[in-house]
Amino acid sequence: MTATVIDGKEFAARVRAQVADHVAKLKADHGITAGLAVILVGEDPASEVYVAAKHRQTVEVGMASFEHRMPADVSEEDLFALIDQLNADPTVHGILCQFPVPKHLNERRVVARIDPAKDVDGLSVVNAGLLASGEKGLVSCTPLGCLMLLRDQLGNMSGKEAVVIGRSNLFGKPMAQLLLQESCTVTIAHSRTKNLEEVCRRADILVAAVGRAEMVQGDWVKPGATVIDVGITRIPHPDKPGKTKLLGDVHYASAAEVANAITPVPGGVGPMTIACLLANTLTATCRAHGLEEPEGLTA
Amino acid sequence: MTDHRLLKGGPVRASILEDVAAYIVDQKPTGRLVSIMIGDTPEVAVYIRNQAKAAARVGLGFEEQTWPADLTQDQCKARIQVMNDDPTVLGIILQRPVPDHINVRSLQSAIHPLKDVEGMNPASIGNIVYNDVALAPCTASAAVELIHATGLTMEGLEVVIIGHSEIVGKPVAMMLMAEGATVTVCHHMTRSVAMHSRRADVVVVAVGKAHLIGPDMVKPGAAVIDIGINQTDDGIVGDVDTDAVLDVAGWVTPVPGGVGPVTVAILLRNAITAHQRQLQAGWLA
Repeated sequence: MTATVIDGKEFAARVRAQVADHVAKLKADHGITAGLAVILVGEDPASEVYVAAKHRQTVEVGMASFEHRMPADVSEEDLFALIDQLNADPTVHGILCQFPVPKHLNERRVVARIDPAKDVDGLSVVNAGLLASGEKGLVSCTPLGCLMLLRDQLGNMSGKEAVVIGRSNLFGKPMAQLLLQESCTVTIAHSRTKNLEEVCRRADILVAAVGRAEMVQGDWVKPGATVIDVGITRIPHPDKPGKTKLLGDVHYASAAEVANAITPVPGGVGPMTIACLLANTLTATCRAHGLEEPEGLTA
Repeated sequence: MTDHRLLKGGPVRASILEDVAAYIVDQKPTGRLVSIMIGDTPEVAVYIRNQAKAAARVGLGFEEQTWPADLTQDQCKARIQVMNDDPTVLGIILQRPVPDHINVRSLQSAIHPLKDVEGMNPASIGNIVYNDVALAPCTASAAVELIHATGLTMEGLEVVIIGHSEIVGKPVAMMLMAEGATVTVCHHMTRSVAMHSRRADVVVVAVGKAHLIGPDMVKPGAAVIDIGINQTDDGIVGDVDTDAVLDVAGWVTPVPGGVGPVTVAILLRNAITAHQRQLQAGWLA
């Protein structure tokens, strides 16, 4: 058996198209333009690339994109003043501060400053708490993207055994909460877990997010399972000198022999993250104006 | 004869209250806890009495307020906001149930996180998710304290939680995972609870089904924490068939007399945590 390849690139394009439709409708019916503000502190080259990609896709779906650059030595006070101003700005529905920020700034304090209703990265303590409480908030983009892929692949997940490897605040914990909401039986495995292979073999849904290249082997996967690979490790390309290659946490070739469906790296979960950022911005816009939220774009 | 496998709440409660009392003698917090009951709900009275008694024992002020049942949501919220700003109010306890027209979650969110001694504000829950567990929901914290009382260290242990409620199952899962346990959360849609519970070093059950957990569902030597409270013809029983499971388990908490008594002590410990945080925030002189 060879697994179905879950095409995240194609699915993300569908999500963006759905977002774009709704953004156009908000504009036509209510005169509202959804707006996303991105704050970039300093000049980290990787961050520049991400911010540029976010800007391009934000504009493509018809939203207003506001970019705010601050010098690497900006004081917390000045950064907070900008966040406060964006919190108060009715044309801004989503605010994202690109991480990492320079060391003298505390990421948790920065996130906490953003109005939870505009925290489209879903990282604030309040949004984490709302998710854990089963209430409406904004959900961290990558887990939300994985949830969308799983729903599309499996439909009803009730009663399935799900194993999430990795317990990070950014991914593992919110992912586990989302799977619980779908009525899966959820195990969170991590670096301290004994018999990890055995735990993985129980899983109807296996989500790997540890950042260790090809750690999950084909014989760790239950036959017929759905495998979501969130890991991204960049290595020197084995055949092309000077080039690099991306690897996931799952040994793709062997896992694809056993699984029913699997996300590739790249082209699986990755493209979903920005699509979900746009979906969250749209959701935040609808909520800010007391309008109905589009279906299928939230948890 | 004492059965050492019966993990009673009394000693854990006493030790927590002792620590709290020592802090209060030392730091002399002047604020009081305020208990709010909306409408007359006699079933809550026994809980309030227990809270008041424990507060008196450690020397903390405790005020019981009963609000009219016909207050609107906004009026309740406004009253809570006054308390948020009142430096003589150390912590706010919102007794449940509340009248049908009141959205309890929204009121809990109105309580300032630094006065949220019940640990119910989404920000408090979010802090637990992010491993800052100082102000956790009292029952969840009590369960964790009893597990600590066994002397087990969580790192690498298998923990199975049965019941995924917002105020018990999920916070306990987060707290034990932060200590290094591999946690599985089961619930009413889980295909085979026994398959999971049988491999667990620690089982925490909070579903409200009398005697759901029998000896065949428990691994020999495991710690079993019973959070269920079920009214039956034989009186109050837990979710665990305690007598039968005692033959297999390493530890079992009794019901009543297990998690319950610890819960009130945690409420008071949360009150001193709130005091510490209010001091740090510069709210108190």
